[in-house]
Amino acid sequence: MVSKTSRAEPKPIPLAEFAADLERRLAEYEARYGHPFEIPRNSGNRRTPSKRALLKAIEEAGGKW
Amino acid sequence: MISRGLPAPVLVGGAAVEIYSKGSINTGDFDIVTAWQAEFEEELQGLGFVRPAGPGRATRGWIHPELRLGFEVVADSLLDGAADRHRVQLIDLGEDGTAAVISLEDMIADRMGQYASGTAPEMLEQARRLFALHTDADRDYMEKRIRHESAGDYGVEDVES
Repeated sequence: MVSKTSRAEPKPIPLAEFAADLERRLAEYEARYGHPFEIPRNSGNRRTPSKRALLKAIEEAGGKW
Repeated sequence: MISRGLPAPVLVGGAAVEIYSKGSINTGDFDIVTAWQAEFEEELQGLGFVRPAGPGRATRGWIHPELRLGFEVVADSLLDGAADRHRVQLIDLGEDGTAAVISLEDMIADRMGQYASGTAPEMLEQARRLFALHTDADRDYMEKRIRHESAGDYGVEDVES
């Protein structure tokens, strides 16, 4: 199939390596700031009607996120 | 998608934040960017995803009734084509294929663009925390991208903790 991109994509990193790198970063963050890494959730203010309907459908299927 | 000879669809949004923060945010819906929406949605259907139907369920997304997950194609190009596709993070999932995730730098820039819009104040802290976790991010690229997404209002210095 004709490519819609002009350059080759980078080489994938193995999941285990990616996860180990994140673990290291999280440990360094906690050592630096003195508390575990946390990040605020999206407020949801910018959700489109389609997104709201999708989330409702997930919830009705039993998904709790 | 890759077996069809197509680039991997790219994960963006909150699920991408989850990837880069190792589940610090849990989300069950996945925003996808792909120029091959029809082909991607054919693959979803093959995996058991269905499009919700009925009153109040008008969505472009797809859910898997058993996995209780949702996918939605939100765009056909990464951040309106401003993001460098070559920087997409590819993760080798072994037999499960390859996941493609928007680059950390572009995701931070996207957060800052949302923050600059005035409708998502929490995005500033998301951007700052992500940068604090990934201090080796490409600052030059991120400066350019944050400036672009925020119409020049913000830059890298604004996401430094």
